Amino acid sequence: MRKLLLPLALMLGFTTPAVADYTMIVPQKPGGGTSQWAQIVATEMEKYLDGEKIVLKHIRGARDIPGFNKFHNKLRFDDKTIMVSNGGNGVAFLQEAVDYNYKDYDSVGLMNLNIITAVYGDHNPNTDRTSFSGGGGKVPEGIAMTLLKCGNLPNTEAYVGCFKEKVNWIKGMKGNERRLAFKRGELNGTRENPASFKKHVQPVIDKGEARLWFHHGILQPDGSHADDPNYPGIQMEVQFNEIHGAMPKGDLADAYKLVKSFRDGLQKALWVNKGNPNRAKLVAALEQVSKNPESIKKIQKKVGKYEWMLGDAGNAQVDTLMKFVTADALKTLVEFNTQAFGLKSVFKPELVK
Amino acid sequence: MVAYLLGGVFYGLLIGIIPSAGATTGLVALFGFISYFAHEPYMGVIFLMAVVAASTTGDSFTAILLGIPGANSAAATMVDGFPLAQRGRAGYAISAAVTTSTVNGLLWGCLVFLLLPWYTNLIYILGVPELWAFVALAFATVGFLTNQFWFRTVLAIAFGIFVGLVGVNPDNNEARFGAQYWFYLEDGIQIMAVAAGLFAIPELTRGLFLKHSTADGEIREGELWAGMKASWDNRWLALRGGFIGAFIGLLPGLGGQMADWMAYGQAVASNPNEKFGNGNIKGVIGPEGANNAQKATSMITTVIFGIPGAKFAAILMSLFMYLNIELGTPDIAEDTELFKSMTFGFLGATVVVAFICMFLIKPISKLAAVPYKYYFPVLLALIIFTSMQYTGGWEDLAMLAVFSCIGFTMRHYKFSRPAMLIGYILAEKVEGLTLQLTGLYTVETLITRPIFMSLIFCIIGILIYSILRKGRIDYA
Repeated sequence: MRKLLLPLALMLGFTTPAVADYTMIVPQKPGGGTSQWAQIVATEMEKYLDGEKIVLKHIRGARDIPGFNKFHNKLRFDDKTIMVSNGGNGVAFLQEAVDYNYKDYDSVGLMNLNIITAVYGDHNPNTDRTSFSGGGGKVPEGIAMTLLKCGNLPNTEAYVGCFKEKVNWIKGMKGNERRLAFKRGELNGTRENPASFKKHVQPVIDKGEARLWFHHGILQPDGSHADDPNYPGIQMEVQFNEIHGAMPKGDLADAYKLVKSFRDGLQKALWVNKGNPNRAKLVAALEQVSKNPESIKKIQKKVGKYEWMLGDAGNAQVDTLMKFVTADALKTLVEFNTQAFGLKSVFKPELVK
Repeated sequence: MVAYLLGGVFYGLLIGIIPSAGATTGLVALFGFISYFAHEPYMGVIFLMAVVAASTTGDSFTAILLGIPGANSAAATMVDGFPLAQRGRAGYAISAAVTTSTVNGLLWGCLVFLLLPWYTNLIYILGVPELWAFVALAFATVGFLTNQFWFRTVLAIAFGIFVGLVGVNPDNNEARFGAQYWFYLEDGIQIMAVAAGLFAIPELTRGLFLKHSTADGEIREGELWAGMKASWDNRWLALRGGFIGAFIGLLPGLGGQMADWMAYGQAVASNPNEKFGNGNIKGVIGPEGANNAQKATSMITTVIFGIPGAKFAAILMSLFMYLNIELGTPDIAEDTELFKSMTFGFLGATVVVAFICMFLIKPISKLAAVPYKYYFPVLLALIIFTSMQYTGGWEDLAMLAVFSCIGFTMRHYKFSRPAMLIGYILAEKVEGLTLQLTGLYTVETLITRPIFMSLIFCIIGILIYSILRKGRIDYA
């Protein structure tokens, strides 16, 4: 049947899950950032899979959770299914009632990314109130700027008060609206992933109207965060030290490290079920992709110049991330989310076990 | 590229000549297939623009030959077009309609699509307050200018906004408006079910019950030339129709029949000594000047601000999202390929469909005469397939059933369905812009913004005018 269907599908110019060798589950609708990234990676991986095809299946839903839950509960037991996840899934894993659990899967590969922020030239973020686009995806930026502006404070309540005083957290802005509002000068601070930063914010900096603020650093295998070679010298902790004469410490600093690591450390990732017999083949294909300059150029255009962590290195990344999960950090994250950002969050004690 | 253009032209023409179908239904049916253009999004743009341009011309055939418009947009053409066809002058009427529609489509298409890159600079000039006021203006025009039952239209807009806000509250990530009880709704109610239920299903079903007599479809020698000549002889009438269509298309959220009827009205008013409704060619040329021009200009607000100029544009905007193209964003301003594709798709299709209609007028006339019962099951299957693209489960069908019931009810009780669709499409934008407006501005800073204040005065003017006005026509 498949032999009959394949030529028909090719004749029609498309491939369907019925005739595909692998199905890549994308937890969002076509057109989303992760979906675009997955399409590029799938197309490039196919070149090294001996004629086998990968087809994207979009299982979308609120905050990209339903698709990942369905993979966890049902789809992962099919050896031909690959899950695509993003940083939002990492954050939701920490603070929402989701079914999925990274420890149940093997990594095919993941990209460890970073987020860069900028402010307008005449705006002093240390003293002025900063208008910044808020929302669930910007929790690490919100906490980072609170720490930078307020220094080390005794408790979460003090941080919440300081945040409300020094940050104008604008809700209801989508990515493109944020970019426009920053270009028009309505926001005096913004954030982007490296590729988007280069496209939308760097031109404003080049004109002398804006300047770099901070980035989160890049997660290292030993659990530390290294400076980003693309934007050296502005890592949050380094700036904090320069402004306040000490390193950030306390529960909010731990919560910040936790949430930024789960978002940026798992920004774009591919997973299969534990023990999937096809994993080695998929990892090998992805390794070939990572060595092909043409392929890498296409991927970097979307997300910026960052390295792949392949196979077991991806599993090790999850082990590293889980070391940051402590009861105090989780509780503080939930508390700050709720009180400062007004976001619905739940404390998940099972993550600490 | 040409293949996609021709594909769009043939699909658009076919959907245009099917009674009661038209551009909106034709575009809704494409949700099931649009992701196949994901690898070549600009080819998808060409295809979609060709569908829009071709369906506008195609629906003149059914209006003239069958006395029923392919879509509501050809209803005004029908008034004088069908009597002409009954007198054996179908070729004359179709030729005049196609010529007028094509000339205005090209004229306004050039002004819109070739200059779109320049217009997009507006997105850097207008800020959050102006965009918020522009959305409010869209609601005011839809609510108070298109329908004699303005209170029902306001309710329809409010219901559309409510439906559009079902899902997760962006303010706090909490599920709301039913989504907290049914996980399926957490990602919002999908446009496929809303658009198909509100428009496609009721219109397709209506087609089954339409009584019509087929006019003499014989195309006689010399009629095509006579039609083109009539169009030239009435060129100022045609251009005035185009101007009316272009103006209505520019106003956010209007579009549709309003431009056609206003153009028909100006044809009647400017010829007080002539009889209309019995086969006056000027009654064909007037509205046909408006429909393509309106389609072109309604793309301006749609592309620049992401505020749909008409209901077809609302569907088009959502289809573009599947091609990774989000209208009303800064990416658009730099996307020269998008402008080229839109220009090529719309203008190319306008020319190609004109040639097809002129040279293949006889077979197309025969196609228009194919009994509707043969089209109905195919279109219905397409719409159901499309509506099941979200989860593929029973929930998709349930939502289609719910919105079909709502669509039938609204049509029966004359609640404006386009108004509800526009409310639904703009709901997220309204909420987002309101949060941004209140977060970034105060009353003191708002009153210093001249464009914002001008738009607010326009809205107030529309409200006063509409409440005092009498004898409105129902365009919705």
